[in-house]
Parts: sequence; structure tokens; C-alpha cells
Amino acid sequence: MADKYLVQPDVEFINEIRVTGGESLKKCFQCATCSVACPIAPDRKPFPRKEMIAASWGLKDKLLADPDIWLCHNCGDCSTECPRGAKPGDVLAAIRMMAIKEYATPKSIANAVNDKKKLPLLAAVPAIVFIVLGLLTGLLDFSPELNAHGEIAHAQFFSTWLVDLVFIPLSIWAVAVFALGLKRFIGDIHKNAVAEGKTDKESIDTKGFLSALVRVIPKILNHRQFSECSENNDRATPHMMVLFSFIGLLIVTAVFFITLYVFGIHGPYSQLHPIKILANVSGIALIIGGALLIKQRMDKTDEVSTYKDWYLLWLVLGLGVTGMLAELTRLADAAFLTYLIYFIHLMMVFHLIAFLPFSKLAHLVYRTVAMAYNEYSGREIKKI
Amino acid sequence: MSEAQGAPFSGSIMVVGGGISGLTTALEAAEVGYEVFIVEKNPYLGGRVSQLKQYFPKLCPPTCGLEINFRRIKDNPRIKFFTLADVEKVAGSPGNYNVSIKLNPRYVNENCTCCGECADACKTEIPNEFNFGIDKTKGAYLPHEMAFPARYVISPQIIGTEDAQRCKDACPYDAVDLEMQPKTVDFNVGAIVWATGWEPYDAAKIDNLGFGQYPNIVTNMMLERMAAPNGPSKGQILRPSDNKAPQSVAFVQCAGSRDENHLPYCSYICCMASLKHATYIREQYPDAKVYIFYIDLRTPGYRYERFYENVKSDENVEFVKGKVAAVEDGGNGKVTVVAEDAVSGEKLHQTVDMVVLATGMQPTAVNAKLPAADLQYTEDGFIINDLDKGGMFATGCANRPADVMMSNQNATGIALKAIQTMVKR
Repeated sequence: MADKYLVQPDVEFINEIRVTGGESLKKCFQCATCSVACPIAPDRKPFPRKEMIAASWGLKDKLLADPDIWLCHNCGDCSTECPRGAKPGDVLAAIRMMAIKEYATPKSIANAVNDKKKLPLLAAVPAIVFIVLGLLTGLLDFSPELNAHGEIAHAQFFSTWLVDLVFIPLSIWAVAVFALGLKRFIGDIHKNAVAEGKTDKESIDTKGFLSALVRVIPKILNHRQFSECSENNDRATPHMMVLFSFIGLLIVTAVFFITLYVFGIHGPYSQLHPIKILANVSGIALIIGGALLIKQRMDKTDEVSTYKDWYLLWLVLGLGVTGMLAELTRLADAAFLTYLIYFIHLMMVFHLIAFLPFSKLAHLVYRTVAMAYNEYSGREIKKI
Repeated sequence: MSEAQGAPFSGSIMVVGGGISGLTTALEAAEVGYEVFIVEKNPYLGGRVSQLKQYFPKLCPPTCGLEINFRRIKDNPRIKFFTLADVEKVAGSPGNYNVSIKLNPRYVNENCTCCGECADACKTEIPNEFNFGIDKTKGAYLPHEMAFPARYVISPQIIGTEDAQRCKDACPYDAVDLEMQPKTVDFNVGAIVWATGWEPYDAAKIDNLGFGQYPNIVTNMMLERMAAPNGPSKGQILRPSDNKAPQSVAFVQCAGSRDENHLPYCSYICCMASLKHATYIREQYPDAKVYIFYIDLRTPGYRYERFYENVKSDENVEFVKGKVAAVEDGGNGKVTVVAEDAVSGEKLHQTVDMVVLATGMQPTAVNAKLPAADLQYTEDGFIINDLDKGGMFATGCANRPADVMMSNQNATGIALKAIQTMVKR
């Protein structure tokens, strides 16, 4: 802290924070109420006061590599107690979005995903991919027959082969984009932590880091930090519902995949099948959780919500609604409707996977890694 | 003091509030020949200054300064003052106002010699408002030893009880008059000066700072009373929970100030007040540690800056840049304050014997609406002076947060503005 430091403000960065939801940034007068108000900031180099001044000064490199922006769960306690209405919670949310963009490649996709005007274009991408690939391969049948049991089966219309032809490479793509980003991210946050005196560790040893990761996963699953918040405490439960329904649906998808390719068993499954019950419960939890999160965002007028938040929330709710509707219309024998809804559902899944590393949803990965790093660093998160 | 004997100039001025600003405006106008009425709601003149141990710029005790003003009032036939008085109604326009004043009964007449027999006879005790409720006073009391007019008051709370009768029976001078009734008096004046002053911001509203929750968290004005020789502990600064000498004290600057959830503005005086309080504590307890937690210290002007430098050179006074935003139980009556030291970037948990909240000034008019309809206020309740229109003016802390020196300068100027209103007529 004592050595001299020439501030080179990145004015464009400051402006970008302000349009990404941190417009109140410049009201901050560095009283440090926020660092004390935050229920999860550690004693050693607490946040978000230092982030607020770095943001005011436009210190882009310092901020994007700061693991503390990810330790923040946007609970809003700091914004409530802030005497100037500078809303550190919103500013950190904006910086996080910019960090996601920074670590994602290619940048053009990151920019498009976070640009409201590009939504029609991005929405069209999966539709075009499905139709072109489907027609070329003949795996998309616009006048499908019923299956062997005389039921509607989505696979008759949109072949399972086509689904996997698209989504397997897409998943590999998402993993690859994350891998590239994380490689830089982990190096950067460690350098930042060393420079700012947040850790005594000199390097990252893989084993220690992985064991820290194992230790934080239960914390993430039970939302321990999230529940410390007082201001946005009511968000913790719906967020947990969404997280667990995604995990549930991931399990369902994996089981379907294995039974199909290993045992050659096709859907649809009976409603009484355990895996189907898990699928239905997860689907309903996704809808309720997503709807509650949207409602809470809408009701909370003193917190800034921008396109980055709405894109993700509506996608989550849309996935749940189209998924459940596709199932219900199938059971109701509404052939045209169910195929249409299924098609839309798959378009949304495409968005979820393809744009995962570029959208706000990437917090899933970055926050987990930052929390694991913090655990590893020996800088304990303590309750005041 | 005596009956007005006809002013050499036409028109009279009403000054609402008998604190340092009101007294100054009244004296300045009266001493150039205008008739002035002072209306004071308390049973004594002198206002907030009389509650202090010492006041800036010269750290005088309030007797020095107030007494000379009281002398000037007594000697000036053109000043008439009313204590226990409220303005009820104001009508009219610049140069010609009709004002109704309600005079509340004191139940003690001018025969009173301050012998104190009535207080000795009285059994009921009531919270001592002059000391912010730190101690109690009898139902028959002298507001404070320097009270002017020097006359006892019988609290309305004991009127109608046997205690009131005991007070009356005890008085050797027939000064207690339990039959006194409130009365309303009308005045015609040319100008009105609102010198209604300020109140300490209600610290109980700042819910993260624990006032009311921990007995050893007090406000700056409470500390002022503790330190004053005529205060509840005769000038000894003692920890409220056990009356022990504090060995460590933390000051929380901007407690509810510069905070849009409370008072959005800076009250101007609290930094200097806390620096002054640090000297009180350090003079009384040579080993005590003082911590001052601040956002930034505001010590305007050469004199104040020098005062700050002096306090800073005391190695037992530690300054921490970072606002206290939470308090915790420190055990054994101690309190732990939590702040981030913005210089080192570490969060501090400082456990101390006593915490002083440097609360700001809130204009009195916020909590007690003034009866004059055409006054303009800022969002925070300070009165805006319309100097072109004239007639009614605000001075001192009714107009903006100020120290005694600024209040007096402003009050002198406003006296002239009030005079101009009548000269124009």
C-alpha cells in the first residue's frame, strides 16, 4: 500500500461499468460502511470499498482479476447501508459481467450475448442450425408418425441423433471456452491476491486447490454465504431451487443418454419411472424458482437490474415452462403444439449451453473457482 | 427586561428563540434603538450554548459570553423576553405582522430567590432534560445553576398533586403560584427573526450504531453534559453502566450525518466537537486512549486546523480513516466498534469502555412545525432566507449548521436585515 502508484484511469471502463448497472458508482465517498455492512467480507482486505475506489479510478486490470468481486453474492446489504446511494452491490454486479466478457473468447459473442439489440439474431442461430442440419441429414421430420406404442414421441419429429449431433459438440465448445478463460483467470486472481496481500501462498499447488474446491462445494450447495445476507435473503431459496433443478435435469439427461446409447432404450418414459419423477420435480422447481427470482427483481426497484439479469432469468423460466409444456401437450395428444414447443425448448437449451461462458450464468464457474481460491488462500471469510 | 419605553424608531422585531443567535440578533437590533421581543420555549435563555462545557473558538465556558449578554438584556429597556413561550399564530406581511404568543405557566413568580426550599420539599423526580435524561431532577427545579431568569420552575407533571402543594407550603417567599394559567398575548411587529436553533439528531434512529441498546454508547451532547462542571457527575466523565472512569473511548464521526438514510448533510461542528471532547478526556484521564473514526475530518480555517494539529500530536489519540458501521458487545460493559481502516485496508474490531456518537444537528423546525405559513424550507428543514421579500428571516442553526462564531456573525447581519424591513416601510 505504501509504495507509489501512478493511477492510469481507463475512462471507457468507468463508463462501461456505469451503463452495465453501476451508474451510481461516482457517488461513493469512501466511508467504508460497505466493507463492514457486508456479512461475508473478511477482516483481511475486506470488500467492496477497495473495489469502489478502483472502479472510480478506472483500474480495469486490477478489478477484473480481483477474486473478491466473485466472493460477493450481491445480497445488497452494502447498498442498503450506503450513506450516499452509491450501491456497491450493483457496481460489483456490473464488474462481474465485465470480467465474464473479459475471460470469454471470442469477444464478439460475449458482446452479442450482452447486447439487447442482438437478441433476435442470437435467437435465430439455433433455429437455423436445427433446420439446416435437420434437412441436410433428414433427422428433422415435419410430419412425424406416432411411435411403436401409438404415442407422440418428440424423437419422431426431432431425432435424438440430431439433438446429440448439436449438443455434444456444443457442450465441448462451452467447456473449451471456459477452460481457456479459467487458465488466465486462476493465474490472474492469484497474482492479484499476492499483490494486494490477501494471501501468504506464493503459488497455486493443484492438490491444495482441488481439496479447497471440494471443501467449498457443500457451502455452495447449501447457500451458506447467500443466507448470511439480510437484504436479499429471500432470493436464496429460489436460487437454490434453480440450482438444484439444473443439477436434477443434468442427472436426468445423463441417465437418458446412457440408457439410450448403452442399453438402447428410447423415451418417453412412464410418468411413474423414478427418473421421470426427478425430471418433473426439477422442471416444476425450475419454473417456481425462476418465476420467484423474476418477481423479486421486479419488486426490488432500488436495485438496478439490466439486460444481463433479465436475459438469464427469462431464459431460466423459459426453459422450465417450455420443458413442462412440451411434456403436457405431448400427453394431451396435441401433436402440432407439442412439436412447436419442443422446438422452442431446444432453442433455449442451445442458448443455455452455447452462451453459458458468455452470459451471467458463467458465475456458476467463476464464483465457484474464486471461492475455492479464497478457501485455498487461507484468507478466511469470517462473520463480523 | 423592564417595560418597553417607546422605541425611538417605529416598528418592533420579534426574535423567536433565545439561544446565542437569537440573543445576538435581539441585542444588536435593540442597541441601535429598536424594540425587540424574545420568545423562548424553555424556562431559561442561552439555548444549546448553556449546555456546553466549553465552546469554540476560544474554549470559553458558557458563562463567559452568555452572562455578558444577559447583562446587556437586563440593562436594555427595549428588550422584552418571554420564557416558556410558544409562537401560536403568525399573520400579516413584512412590516406588519400579528403574532400570538402562548405563555405557559411557570408556577413560580418573581418573588423567587432560588433558595431551593421547594425542590427540597418535592418528592417526585423527573428526567432532567437539560442533561439529556442522564440524571433526574425534582419536580420543582432550577433548570441549571446559571439559568436566566434565575427562577425555579414547577413541572406541569406535578401540578395537581400533593407534591405541588408541598412546594407551595415550603416556599418562604410566597413565590409558588399554583393557580397560574396559560395565556395568549398578541403582538404587532414589523419583522420576525426565527432563531429556532437545532436538536441533536435522534441517535436511536441509527440502528447499526447501537444507541439505546448498549448503555455505554452515548452521544456527543451527552458527553458535553457529563464533562460540564454543572453536569450530572459534576464534570467527571464516567461510563454510564457502572460510573467507572473510561480508559478507552471511541468517537464515531458522521453518526447519521452525510447519510441519505438520516441527515444527508454535514453538520459542520461534529469534527471539532469530537476533537474538543478528546481534550476533555485526555485532561481528565492521562492514560486513557481515544480513537476517532472518521470519513474525513473537517476542521475549517486556521484556528480549527491548528486545534486539530494539537490533538493529533497527542499520541494517545488515534485517528482511523473509516466509518464505524457496526457495534458489538465487548463484554464487561465494553463495546466493540467495527470499521475498515481505509488506509491499511484491514477491518478493525476496537473494544473500548465507552463509545461517543458524533451526531449532527437537525433544525428544530423539522420536529416542531413553525406556525408561519409562508416560510420556505430546504429539503432538510432549514429555513431559506428570502432577503428580497424581507419581513421574516432565519438565523443561526435554523438557517444552516453553524458554530457559535458563525451564528453570531450571521445573527448580526440578520438584525440589520430585520431593521431594513421596517425602514423600507
